[in-house]
Amino acid sequence: MTGAQARYVVGRIAQALVIVVLTYTLVFAILYLLPGDPIASAVNDPQNPLPQDQVHVVLAYYNLDRSGLEQYLIAAGRALHGDFGYSLTTGQPVARMFGQALPHTASIAALAFLVAVVVAFGISVLATHGPTRGVRAIARAVPSVTLSVPSFLLALVVVQVFAFRLGWFSPVRDSGFKAVLWPALVLGVVVAPHVTQVFVQGVDRTQQMPFVLVLRAQGRSGYAIFLRVVKNAVLPTLTLFSLTAGELLAGSVIVEVIFNKNGIGQLTQDAVRGQDTPVILLVVLFVSTVFVTINLLTDLVYPWIDPRISLRQRTRDRRGSGRGGPQPASGDVTSSSGEREDERKMASAGVDHGA
Amino acid sequence: MVLDETAGTVRRTHRLRNADPLLVLAVLVLAVIAVFVVAPGAVSPHDPLSAVGQSLQPPSGRFLFGTDYLGRDIFSRVVYGTRTTLLGSLVAVTCGLVVGSVLGLVAAYFGGVVDVVVGRLVDVLLSIPGLLLSMVIVVALGFGTLNAAVAVGASSVALFARLMRSEVLTVRELGFVESSRHIGASTTRILLRHILPNSYSSVLSLVVLQFGASILWISSLSFLGYGAPPPQPEWGLLIAEGRDYIVSSPWLVVLPGAVIVAMVLSITKVSRTVRRRYES
Repeated sequence: MTGAQARYVVGRIAQALVIVVLTYTLVFAILYLLPGDPIASAVNDPQNPLPQDQVHVVLAYYNLDRSGLEQYLIAAGRALHGDFGYSLTTGQPVARMFGQALPHTASIAALAFLVAVVVAFGISVLATHGPTRGVRAIARAVPSVTLSVPSFLLALVVVQVFAFRLGWFSPVRDSGFKAVLWPALVLGVVVAPHVTQVFVQGVDRTQQMPFVLVLRAQGRSGYAIFLRVVKNAVLPTLTLFSLTAGELLAGSVIVEVIFNKNGIGQLTQDAVRGQDTPVILLVVLFVSTVFVTINLLTDLVYPWIDPRISLRQRTRDRRGSGRGGPQPASGDVTSSSGEREDERKMASAGVDHGA
Repeated sequence: MVLDETAGTVRRTHRLRNADPLLVLAVLVLAVIAVFVVAPGAVSPHDPLSAVGQSLQPPSGRFLFGTDYLGRDIFSRVVYGTRTTLLGSLVAVTCGLVVGSVLGLVAAYFGGVVDVVVGRLVDVLLSIPGLLLSMVIVVALGFGTLNAAVAVGASSVALFARLMRSEVLTVRELGFVESSRHIGASTTRILLRHILPNSYSSVLSLVVLQFGASILWISSLSFLGYGAPPPQPEWGLLIAEGRDYIVSSPWLVVLPGAVIVAMVLSITKVSRTVRRRYES
């Protein structure tokens, strides 16, 4: 690694850290500093289940008599030491509640990720190499149709059909692998469309490249050509990795509520209902950190997977203007990485669709 | 001149005959929804808020979508709920569009420190998934239709800001902007008269797309119980209320759900057609 590359890597890591810190700050500001003193009102709410003797402890802990800035500094300092405060509804340490919920969500999200990859790949192959025109057209329409279906509707229909009608799993009892499989199937299908769209675009574009023509002229089999096209087309989808992770975590709110799972999603839902701000702050901090970390990793690893793009070029592209802007177009390399930036932009412009 | 006009008519009739049937369907759906919004009283056969029949009736001629656990007509509730949901989406998109466009415009035009600050804000907002961010804002603002709408709007600010910024960066370098600067036009004038109108086309297509997305988001928030309070009819809330009876009366969930899907699909179809026509 050259000095310039090392500097770039360190710079990118610093930038990622800054984003995490800023996210914490922004969410803290939204939750704590808006008028209405959410902690005091949540704790003093007569419907709050927290026992009276704990109320004073919680109130004293949050230093509500200090100024907003002081509160922020105290909270941030504690967060750095792994202390995320106490829940306003249960009085338990937030970190412990989070730690108990995390494994449930992690197993569903990991399985859902696999489902999403399989679904995206399957639909893309059908869309680009399906046997008839009709099949290809239908497969091409699948992502935008999936994007138009609210995730809660899909989850409810799955519960109704497969749990109540067919009795394949129990919607309330925890029945091992099946209890994870069904929510993961729903979550995976919900998250798949963006990856599918980008992959289909990638295959379409790759198929028009000269090397495919050469392979065909050489008389290679359709399968051999397909493998090489896929290898090239799969690269842009890697940039969606962080986005997909974020969607998986956000989507788990709906899925966990409907499938009765005690993961991060259910925790978030309960926290929003009970205005349990410390819990929400930790959830958002976690999700944002996951997103930023994966983003950082893909950015750093990408040039290694696709040697046409060097680290420095990626910086220049990032700083440079966007689509069609005056780019220092110097040959193939810049334009191909420019295209990649475009892809990411396009991919994420239509994103955040599936809630 | 005359020739041109005939060519135009010929092309138009040709286009009509060859119109995409899906597009026609989409426009029809949107037209029906528009009627729901403008005159819900004329379309809905019953009062959406009071019991008009036995509870949990299956769909029939009298109750198109069946009745809920209180005997209220679901179809009428869907019709009346349209206005709430669409108004919410309108508020959300307007918030996102206005705030996002201003941020993107300012960042791209002034560059330097302003660009860095806006860029970081956009990075931060994008690092939180939209649904989660709107949940955070709902906690701060409190529950309710308008608050949920504002929360969804705030979550889409980053998308608009980023797109606007990249559009403006492209337009800023064009010759006529430089010329008007040389003539002595003020910064505000250049921004509002020259840059904004020329960088708006792709932002507008995002507006339509985002309108569809907002419907889904707002329904999700109200499904979770952060939106309109019951007994108000609202699409997401209707499905949430039907959820408890899904075993015996699945239509309580499926039929309002189908309306949401039809609506969002139609919007996507229309937005895609508009964009394709604009590009060609």
